[in-house]
Amino acid sequence: MGSFIKKDLLVFWRDRKEILAALLLPIALIVILNFAFSGIFNDDQASINLDVAIVQDDDPSAGLERFKETIQEGDFSQAEKATMIEQAASIEPSRLIHDFFNNKGLKEWVNTKELPEKEAKELVDNGELDAIIKIPKGFTYHVSSAIMLNKESEVALTIMAEDQSAEVRALQNIVNSFIDSLNLQFALGSKAESAATEPELPQGGKEVVEGVDTYTISRYFTIAISTLFALFMAQTVALKTVTEKRERVFNRIVLSDSNPLYFLLGKTVSTFILTLLQMVIVFASLQLLLDIFPGKPFAFWLGLMVVMTAFALTVAGLSALFTAMTLNLTNSNAVSGLSTLIIMTLGVLGGSFFPIQGFPEIIQKMGEWTPNGLTQTVLIEWIQFGNADDLLLPIIILIAVFVVCFGIGMSIFPKRGRI
Amino acid sequence: MLETIKLSKTFKEKKVVDEINLFLDEGESVGLLGPNGAGKSTTISMISSLLKPTSGDVKLDGKSTIKDPSKIRKVLGVVPQEIALYEELSAYENLKFFGKIYKVKKDTLEDRIQEVLDMVGLQERQKELVKTFSGGMKRRVNIAAALLHDPEILILDEPTVGIDPQSRNHILETVRNLNVERGTTILYTSHYMEEVEQLCNRVYIMDHGKIIASGSKSELLSILSSEDTIQVQLSGQSDSLLDRIKSFTSVLQVDETNEGMRIISKKGSNILSELVHAAEKEDIQIVNFQVETPSLEDVFLHLTGKTLRD
Repeated sequence: MGSFIKKDLLVFWRDRKEILAALLLPIALIVILNFAFSGIFNDDQASINLDVAIVQDDDPSAGLERFKETIQEGDFSQAEKATMIEQAASIEPSRLIHDFFNNKGLKEWVNTKELPEKEAKELVDNGELDAIIKIPKGFTYHVSSAIMLNKESEVALTIMAEDQSAEVRALQNIVNSFIDSLNLQFALGSKAESAATEPELPQGGKEVVEGVDTYTISRYFTIAISTLFALFMAQTVALKTVTEKRERVFNRIVLSDSNPLYFLLGKTVSTFILTLLQMVIVFASLQLLLDIFPGKPFAFWLGLMVVMTAFALTVAGLSALFTAMTLNLTNSNAVSGLSTLIIMTLGVLGGSFFPIQGFPEIIQKMGEWTPNGLTQTVLIEWIQFGNADDLLLPIIILIAVFVVCFGIGMSIFPKRGRI
Repeated sequence: MLETIKLSKTFKEKKVVDEINLFLDEGESVGLLGPNGAGKSTTISMISSLLKPTSGDVKLDGKSTIKDPSKIRKVLGVVPQEIALYEELSAYENLKFFGKIYKVKKDTLEDRIQEVLDMVGLQERQKELVKTFSGGMKRRVNIAAALLHDPEILILDEPTVGIDPQSRNHILETVRNLNVERGTTILYTSHYMEEVEQLCNRVYIMDHGKIIASGSKSELLSILSSEDTIQVQLSGQSDSLLDRIKSFTSVLQVDETNEGMRIISKKGSNILSELVHAAEKEDIQIVNFQVETPSLEDVFLHLTGKTLRD
């Protein structure tokens, strides 16, 4: 079998076009995409800067007075009345909103100023303002009644904007988060001004969780594109069989009476070696060029290597399947087309062309069951959490995919004696 | 040593090989002739165990090879029409790979590679990649690869197609040496009649999947012993002259050639006076008239109605 492996490796090595396509192309592509897209992302980060007008239609004092009157008319004890009035006075819902937007963290990218509604609308129309947050008339009264008396609020904060940009959506999220936070605090019985749980603010469109390493755009491209090109290695090695068949080299091998399965094993093992080498070279080159994983410990690289090895094994299984298909089908174009279709489908579903996080959950689930999608998922977790236990199941699945593909390849491979 | 018994192959209801019987005795050199599409390559594929016959049998030393092809694979070397080599590997690397898979013993493989390279005259260039070789050199490596395991029977399927005269002579010399000096049994197919005449003791002629004649050269030539082949050079061509000549009672076959026509007539029949008379009537002059000694090519043409290169 060693002769078959050596032969396949030599044939691949001597084909300069294949070498360029397998090694240089993914590296060049990742570098180019990384520079192109990281520029866009950096611009996005810098451009999140909202100018917002707060239109104060509410009269807090009048609202509080009206609330006091409602309480006095209610069927409460004097002690209850006094407590509720005291709490309502301390809440001051419209003041909470002003305080929230004057928060230091938020002020860095949301500038607020109080303006009359008419002027604010003109500025929004002129494009000088991004949005208006309107605190409606009776806001203090209705919010206090909702909190203290469990009445349904008849008024709500409104956000008005010229268009639904990402910035305006971000503002909506912030306000919603703030309201949710307030509701939670009141529901728990804590005081409004305690500010124990500040709403979480998005930072430049990037989620940052403490203690978790970020999955950056360069990391995405490195993993997505290298896994895609690795899948193509299965096709490249398998399609050499087309030439071997056409040139009758395969017949010569058959006539040597060596076990035909050695031919299949040779393709499988050489694909495994070539895929692993390809991924190691791509990752190593990108680490040197882009420093995609700065300061990572040896254990991280070891885990990465283990995942890549399991994935290379899966690719080798696919190669076995494609090789057996090549020997069974008479039309070499059909084999090439079918294997390309399989790889492209795996590429799309597995998120090798674009992240599938925005797709429906069912597509995401399907993607995680593709070898490249699973490898991406496990590598994201490995980069973020570095938990070795998380590697075990995906690696078992990748090995299982190899076993299934190789098993099918073996079962449809022409039988010894009559090929 | 090797024989086929009523060997047949049908592809999609078309009988490509039709109950052929042929045999090769040990040390013999046998030619298999036939026009394109006669079924030669299919026959070779069945003999060498690459293709399963639809019916019939292939026997090696009296034992069938259909059920257990490994018997024949051990003693058989096949030189296919195609260059069955890895172009990206050197001649040496190709031979080493094929030697290993033919299970040539490790301690003798190196010597064997050098021996076969010497046979085909490529020792000096063994380290060069096959893709850099001329067509003739590639064909010589193609033969070398089939000789690595020292086969008792060698099947060569048109091994000299499209190559330079030097390589062709080298290949013919190699095949002759293998047969004469080493006693290798040869089955040789070619489009070149002179190669078969030069190399083979016996010839099988195939057409439309059947063996239509067989025997030694003299036996085959005797097919034409009752006939004369006459080459006639004419000043012009005429269909009506052709029809007139065909109507002569002693004429068996007439074919147009570039310069006139080729007539096969009954042995000893004097058609010259009739021919001159017919040509005069058509206002055509006879430029040259020659009675030829029949060749295997004539036999082939007589039997198949085609030349070998048709």
